[in-house]
Amino acid sequence: MDEFHSSHSRLTRAAGVLAGVLAGIVTVVLAGTALAHRIVQPATLPLLEATHLPPLLTTRAERTELRYDVYCARSEAEAETPCAVDGAVFARAGDTGTYQVVAAQEEQGVSGTRFVALLPESIARAATGFSYYAVFRSDETDLVTTLPAGGAAAPQRSLPLGRSIGIALGSHSFGDGREASERVAEAAWGTGLSEAGLEQGKNLMPIGGSAFDVEEDGSVVVLDEANKRLLRWRGDGGTPDAVPLAINGTMADMSIGEDGTVYVLETAGGHGAKLLLRTFDRDGGERATGAVAERPSQVRVGPEGPVVLQSSSAQWMPAAREGRTVGVSGQINAAESGRPLSDGRRIVILRHGNEVRVALVGSAAVQRAWLVTSETPLAEVQLAEPYGTGVVLVTRVFTDDRDEFVVLALDRRGIVKRFSLDSADWAETAPLSRFRLRGSSLYQLGSTSAGLFVDRFDLEVE
Amino acid sequence: MRYARKFLVAFVIAFALAGAGTAGAYHTQWVANNCNNAAPTPTSYITRDGSITVALYARHEGYQWGGGCWNDNDVDDSPGDPKSDPNTGGEGPDCSGFTFKVWRETLDETSTAFHQWWRLRNIHGPYTAQRFKNADGAANYPLSKSAAIKMDAYASATHIGMIYVTNPDGTDQIIEALGESYGTNVWTRAYRGNSIFSGVRRLGWSQS
Repeated sequence: MDEFHSSHSRLTRAAGVLAGVLAGIVTVVLAGTALAHRIVQPATLPLLEATHLPPLLTTRAERTELRYDVYCARSEAEAETPCAVDGAVFARAGDTGTYQVVAAQEEQGVSGTRFVALLPESIARAATGFSYYAVFRSDETDLVTTLPAGGAAAPQRSLPLGRSIGIALGSHSFGDGREASERVAEAAWGTGLSEAGLEQGKNLMPIGGSAFDVEEDGSVVVLDEANKRLLRWRGDGGTPDAVPLAINGTMADMSIGEDGTVYVLETAGGHGAKLLLRTFDRDGGERATGAVAERPSQVRVGPEGPVVLQSSSAQWMPAAREGRTVGVSGQINAAESGRPLSDGRRIVILRHGNEVRVALVGSAAVQRAWLVTSETPLAEVQLAEPYGTGVVLVTRVFTDDRDEFVVLALDRRGIVKRFSLDSADWAETAPLSRFRLRGSSLYQLGSTSAGLFVDRFDLEVE
Repeated sequence: MRYARKFLVAFVIAFALAGAGTAGAYHTQWVANNCNNAAPTPTSYITRDGSITVALYARHEGYQWGGGCWNDNDVDDSPGDPKSDPNTGGEGPDCSGFTFKVWRETLDETSTAFHQWWRLRNIHGPYTAQRFKNADGAANYPLSKSAAIKMDAYASATHIGMIYVTNPDGTDQIIEALGESYGTNVWTRAYRGNSIFSGVRRLGWSQS
């Protein structure tokens, strides 16, 4: 009997354990299945998007027509049969007064939906330029999109270039790059205290040292995003100080204010997540984190605080003012064409084909402008900053297998100084973070397979 | 009571062990649970605008090396996959798989025909970024970068991305599957002038 009870007891215990194991496994399987089904979303949503290259600076000879590419679809399956869209442009002379509705006509004979609005002469030829925004609506999908996103409150601004100073670069001669005045910072790739991290992936170009800036005292600061820190060289080019930062560790842009405040724009945040501007004090202490609107790609410091460049309309938006974060709608509604400068002016850039237009704008009018043409194709404008009575412009010249940067110091007479620099871009950075101007020194963030460096070029030396 | 305790202990241990095992295998299930191997839909033409629409439906989705399947919920449903493993079965395309599907190419490298691969069709296609850069395949041909317009691509030995729109500062907004930490999205890039990138164009766009 005892033996029976003992066997029964063992069997019951075993059954209890077995039941527990089975119940645990079944629970996990059911939970996993439920999760798998939850993430299936077979339907696609309708979409409506518009793109537009704004004529930020116009010449008298140009016909001012505003062109928009509009992408509207009810679903992925109807990608080649776009939904019907109505569009209107609201334009006015100058930047005050009532907007006039200008019909945006669908362009015939092209694929998809392309709208063209031809501005009346009274607006297009106004001495003070014009401002405008566009609204596209699809009744089929109930979607509306406004470009720029701020609409009437923050329209796109176009200014007459006026009597610009012509700069003809001719055909570029590759291989004559200038030597640096000095190398002010250098770090091997790695995770050590004085090394810079390198993010690598199967499809990534190596990304490392994704931005840099130069502080008031000449210290060079590199955003070592892969190691989640700053590296600060204090002028002797020796071992940098490492300042930990609470950042994602992905490619980001960075600028530093006059007071040492560090602004990091995380341009590749978590998938679907809002992009963030993180603010730190000079020692890495976190001050603020705020969402930024409209897929910004750059952060710079304006007279009132950080400004970010929104990709959809190439407008600059204030991300904070006098130390207080500006909300997303506040950013959108305060967006302006041209980057604000510390002296109250703005600088406007427009590259199209082999031509770059640069203008210094004050009191809503172009004060001085340059029209740079090149026989060798021009890519991005890496830097445009006021310098003396003119500007320093750094742009990339390229062929299909070579590229260099051209540095131009320009004033009212034309070219004051011109030289070329090796592109030195083995590792990827934020798109326009390779140069900074401080005083009469131009700094370049470069890299090789061994590491990154920052070189200084004295603009006052022949 | 003792038996109930033993049941509970066994349940917790089994739950933990099964959960741990599933966590390791979780990413292998996304494609298996969501994607299909349906035949593509042949189409008589494609336009650049239509391909931009196809591409925009992948925005905010994930990235998977060797992958080519995504949904449209604007979330990476399998974040944090091991970067060097093409077999984790996570959501999203890689850069070349994304280009293949957006350009609506066929598996036959000698063909220039157009095949609509729906987003949940798990397909990468025959081309790596390097092969696109080489303009391998009848549907791809080399292009001078200065002539590149929307939906043309810049390809390096390891990466390829397509032009969405050009910015006033001379950069381009590129739609691309960038990496596990980034997913698939539109970003501003300076690929055009960078000499490691070559221009590639899909042959046969209907209109420009």
